[in-house]
This record gives sequence, structure tokens and C-alpha cells, in this order.
Amino acid sequence: MGDVLFLILRRLRAPLITLIVIYSVSIAGMVAIPGVDDQGNPWRMGFFHAFYVISYTATTIGFGELPYPFTDAQRLWVIAVIYLSVIGWAYALGSVFSLSQDPEFRQAAARSLFVRRVGLLREPYCVVCGYGRSGQAIVQALDALGVRVMVVEVDAHRVSSIAVQPFHRAPLVLVADARRPEVLRDAGIAKPECRAVIAVTGDDEANQSIAIGTRVLDPQTRVIARVIDPVAQSNLADFGGIEVVNPYQTFADNLEAAFSMPDVLQLEEWLTGSPGSEPAPPLRLPRGHWVLAGYGRFGRPIAEALRRTGQTAEAFDTGDLPTGDYDARVRRYESIEEGLRACGAERAVGVVAGSASDTVNLSIAVMARRCNPQVTVLMRQGRAFNAALIEAARPSLTFVQSDLLLHEVLQALTTPLLDRFISHLRLVDAQQVSQIRTRLEATVGQQVPSVWMFECDSSQAGLSGVLSNPFTPLRLDELMRDPREPGSRLRAVPLMVVKGAPVALSASPDSGSQPPARDTTSRLLRAGGGFSASRPVRQAIGSDIALDAGLLLLPAEDTALGPGDRILFAGADGVEALQRRYLFDPGPIEFVRTGIDPPRGALFRWLAARRTARAAAGIGSGRA
Amino acid sequence: MNLEKVIFGFFVILACALNFGFFLGDIGRPELHHPGELFAAVTVNLIALVLKFGDRTQLGAIHLSTSLAACIQLLAAALYWTWAAHIGQNVSEVAAIATVVSLSGGALLANLVSVVLLIGETLRQAR
Repeated sequence: MGDVLFLILRRLRAPLITLIVIYSVSIAGMVAIPGVDDQGNPWRMGFFHAFYVISYTATTIGFGELPYPFTDAQRLWVIAVIYLSVIGWAYALGSVFSLSQDPEFRQAAARSLFVRRVGLLREPYCVVCGYGRSGQAIVQALDALGVRVMVVEVDAHRVSSIAVQPFHRAPLVLVADARRPEVLRDAGIAKPECRAVIAVTGDDEANQSIAIGTRVLDPQTRVIARVIDPVAQSNLADFGGIEVVNPYQTFADNLEAAFSMPDVLQLEEWLTGSPGSEPAPPLRLPRGHWVLAGYGRFGRPIAEALRRTGQTAEAFDTGDLPTGDYDARVRRYESIEEGLRACGAERAVGVVAGSASDTVNLSIAVMARRCNPQVTVLMRQGRAFNAALIEAARPSLTFVQSDLLLHEVLQALTTPLLDRFISHLRLVDAQQVSQIRTRLEATVGQQVPSVWMFECDSSQAGLSGVLSNPFTPLRLDELMRDPREPGSRLRAVPLMVVKGAPVALSASPDSGSQPPARDTTSRLLRAGGGFSASRPVRQAIGSDIALDAGLLLLPAEDTALGPGDRILFAGADGVEALQRRYLFDPGPIEFVRTGIDPPRGALFRWLAARRTARAAAGIGSGRA
Repeated sequence: MNLEKVIFGFFVILACALNFGFFLGDIGRPELHHPGELFAAVTVNLIALVLKFGDRTQLGAIHLSTSLAACIQLLAAALYWTWAAHIGQNVSEVAAIATVVSLSGGALLANLVSVVLLIGETLRQAR
């Protein structure tokens, strides 16, 4: 607010001084010019009356000649005063209005309002930098989850639609360049309420500087950045603590998985679908020769993925070819048909329509089918409003960057453990994957299960006693019994256990300067926290693909759990809520262990203790 | 020579000078304190105040606060004098002028601080 006030004062200096001068000259004139009172005696107006007369004359209210009728000399002066003061007021008011219309001033005022509202916010929120297609999808999804969102966008046109869109709680908008550190700070990234910064602008460079800026300004805040360029990606991975999402690479990885480990891919799709829905049919892609139409940031990782899995792939592009270390075999053709034929579309099993333009992709699909009616077509969709067009071409698989990005970001925010579980799935053998699948199907059925994380939080009332007792540790199977009737099991499968770190370690704030990838304990600390956790810890992506120590896939039923352990469960709808009862109240876990619902109040606890004491005494005396 | 500095210095010193002129003289003698002088002091002090708007340095902030103090003191003196002369019934002229002059004395102190700041700033830049 101070900034805006100073801006107003500085801009209004000249009109204010003009007004003061006009008033003082007018008043001085009124006092100096002699007048007469109602009896005709010489009389001089005092400063009080002069100020009164000038005040109503200058503002054109005009009460008349007070307190006595003016002499001609006074009237002459009042004429001058009227014109002077009208000019003065017109100048002053004009300056005020032009200042309020000034875009620079409006921006400063909007920014200061934004900063004040962020400062007053006392609930968790996320900062989304970039309100393009992906940014919009993410903001809407977070809003649907009930999370407060800040939007930082450099282009005022893009965010103007926020005011008319149906949000539960409209996001706070800052129109500014998020690459600048002071903008990030104004957006509140350093506040403890800030859960995550999501950099999804269309520009890799900008996303990089946002991610690095956030890490430097507040090492505790989670950063998720969309980065396409492999060099930039590895730079950010080296920087540490930044979660990188690359939709093109993810799509290519999934394609590769569809060839090399279809079971794993199917399990992944199954676990990450929306709970309760029918699982998507498995993606079966034909093996053989593939043609890539459009070769750039999108086509290149796909070509590499196809070649890695033993397919042959030939690519061409109709636009300018990218420079750098790209494949030298890729050629440029003016016409799509010529390119398709040159790359062998007649004998191809699949065509990837991966140019940046939706209409070009449509014609690629049509021409590819003309060359070879049996061909499988993968299409890239750029704009959301072209979905109907792309759908009409009936592709086997559509790539929509904003959808994939939304999926990845949400998953990273809501169930970070699932992310880790999936990255580990690709490393384990096929037998284990089918084992997981069989167990899930036996417990939950064919539908997509809910996936959640259970944290053995010793600060919660329910488990603090059990977790601190070294003689009777909490076992995993105890968490899988129904807290209402311990005889029956919950319909849930533990997918993974992440061992917690010692309490002393987790309490100490880890400094941002330490290299995160080398230190295993600190990496575990950082890995995944769940969105609802008090402060989500960071997760280093890319470096932790190798199986971590302290991480158990498909843990045994009798696994002992310690404080801070996190378990990833997949199960039926509603089981999570039942399981949460173990956290909030010590009753259920005792009930599960002993079969006795323990008395809660102090009086009943005392009565129960007396009853057991008396029973013990009775048995003792009986023996004697 | 910087015209802005000339105007700024002129108004700061004029504000102090007018204030001093009004303050000068026996505090209990109304004939030694002219209302016109107080009016001029108020006007020039207001102009000096507006001139100090918008300088966001530390020195500028102190300048602004001294002017604010002086203006408030002088406006209080003018208001009180108006009240005593036109509205108040049982106020003796001597008591009224004593209050007005002592209020303007406070303003004079603030104006002196302002002048000292101005001189100090000038000397620092000269070195």
C-alpha cells in the first residue's frame, strides 16, 4: 500500500501546490481589500471569513456575499478568484482521474492489493506460473480439489477470463513476469502456507528461472516445472530439489512401455485412473515400421523410444528442421504425401502425426490412411477446441500436452508416493507386476482402485503410544483390519512402505545448499509427503530411479512399522476413511489387538482398572 | 545549479523564516503577532510539505515527517485562534495569543530540524 500512496503523492505534487497557491493568494486578497459592514463603516475581512468565502466560491457552491455585501473592489477580486480556482480544481481533478486511468498506476494498485491479500491468507495454497492451456487445466483441477490458487501470468489478456469463469474460489491473479524474484516473493512463495510452485509457462527458459528462483528464495517450497529441452532438464536435475515434468518425454516413455512392458503400463494406467471407473482397455501397438510426420521436440523422443524397443522408425518434417544434434537422416519435404511415401508409409504399421499444427496433423492422418488403410495413427492435439476435429480422425491414441501435464502435476501433488511406486514398477520383474495385479483384482475387483497414503504419524493421538512402544511394534496387518470388527479385513492392498527417518533428522531443517541426490537419508526425508501433510517435503526426480534402501515394494503382512513410515495403499472406496480412525483415536488399535473396546473417560478407566485388579486378587485368593 | 533544489531550499527556508517571524516577540502581547504572518507561514509550510512528497529515501522520509509535524502545529494554532476570536466566549486575548504562539514555537522547532537536514544534505554532497 505504501508504494501506491507514494506514487499518488508524487504524481499529485504539482496540482496540490497549484491549489494551495491559488487558495492562499485568494484568501490574502480578500483580507487585504477593504470592505464596509452593514452600517457603512470600514471593515476588513478576517482570515476565518476569507477562508470561508473562498472555500465556497472556489468549489462553485456560492452562498453569496457573506458576512456583508461586497464592495466593488471585493467583487473584482472575487471574479479573479472564481476563474483561478476553477482552473485550479479542473487541473487537480484531471490529474487524479488521469492517474487512476494510468495503466502503470492501476498495475501498481492491483499488485499492492494482491500482496495484501496473499499476506492475509492463512490456508494452504499453490502458485501456478503461466495461465496457458496447461495452467488453466491445473488451476481448475486444484480449485475442484479445494486448494487455493495464485496465478502469475505475464499476459493480462489470458487472465482476464478468470473473472467470468466458474471457480469455487476464484484464484488470486498477479499480472507480472514470474521470472523476476520480487514477483515470486510477492506471490507468496516464501510463506509457510505455500505448498508448491508450479511453473507451466510455454517457455522452457521462463520455467527454469522460476524453478531456480523459487529454490533459491525458499528451499522448503516444492517446485514442479514443465521443461521440454533435455539439456535444461538435466540442468534442473543437477540443481536439485526441482521436480521436472516433461510431457513429451512422458508420452514417449509410455509408448516405449507399451512395447517393452505392456503389463506394467496397464497396471500404471489402472492405478492412476479415476477411482471407481472401468479400467481403460490395454494399449496394443503394432510392431514393425513406423513413420513420424513432424520431427521436433515431440517427434524426437518418440523416434528414440521406438528404436529402443526394436521398431524401425523414419521421420520427416514439412517445416524447418531443428538444428543441433538431431538425427541427420531426417529430411524435409514440402508436401506431406511425398514425405509419407518417401518414409515408407505403404509398408508402415503406424504413423505419428506430430506436427505443431492441428490441421496439418489432420491431413497427415487422412493421407496416411490413403497410403495404407490398416495403419495405426497416433495424433498430437495442440488446441483444446480442436478436440472434436481430432476425434473425428479416429486416432488410436491422442497426445494432448495439457492433459498429460495436468495428470502428472496432480499426481505429484496429491499422491507423490504413487509417482515413486510407478517409477519403481518399471525396474521390477514381470512376475512381481502380475502378482500385484492379481492381489489387487482379488481385493478390489476390476474397477480402478482408490490410492492413498497412510502415514504413521506419531504426533497424532491414535498411534503415538503404539509407535513409541518398542516391545509391541505396530504391524502392517493391524492397519489392514476393520477398526469396527477386527475379524474382517479391509479391502486394501499395501503397495509400498517407505521407512521414515529418525525423528531428530526430520525435525532439523535441511539446508538448500547440500547436494540432495547423494545423501540417501535426506532424499528419503524429502520424498513425498502428501498434499494434506503439514509441510510437503521435496522430491528429487530423475536421480532416484534406482531402488532406494528403506523402500519395500509389496511389503509382507508382518512388517513392523515405525514412526514416520509411510504406506501406499490401493483399495476400495471408503476404506481410507475407515483406516484414518487409527490415527485420530487410540481406541481402534487397542480394540483390534485385544478385542476389548477400551474405556475412554477417566472414571470408566478407573472402574475398569479396579475391576481387573479385583479379578486378579480373586484368582490369587482362589489359588491359596 | 539545479532549479528543483533552489525551489525546494527556498520553500523550506521560507517556511522556517515566516514561522520564526510570527513566533518572535513577547508571547503574551497580541499586538506583536500578526495573523497575516501566521497565514503566510501555514501556506508556505503546506507547499513545503507537498514538495517533500514522493521522496522515498531515508532522508526524504525524515524531511516529510518534520514538515508534517510543523504543518499540524501551525494548523492547530490557526484553528485555535479562529475559535478563540470568533466562537469562544470567555477566552482572554492574552491567553489565546500565548497558546497560538507556543504552538507556532513547536512548529518552529520542527522547521529548524528541517533546515538542519537541508544544510546537512547539502554539505554531504559538497564533499
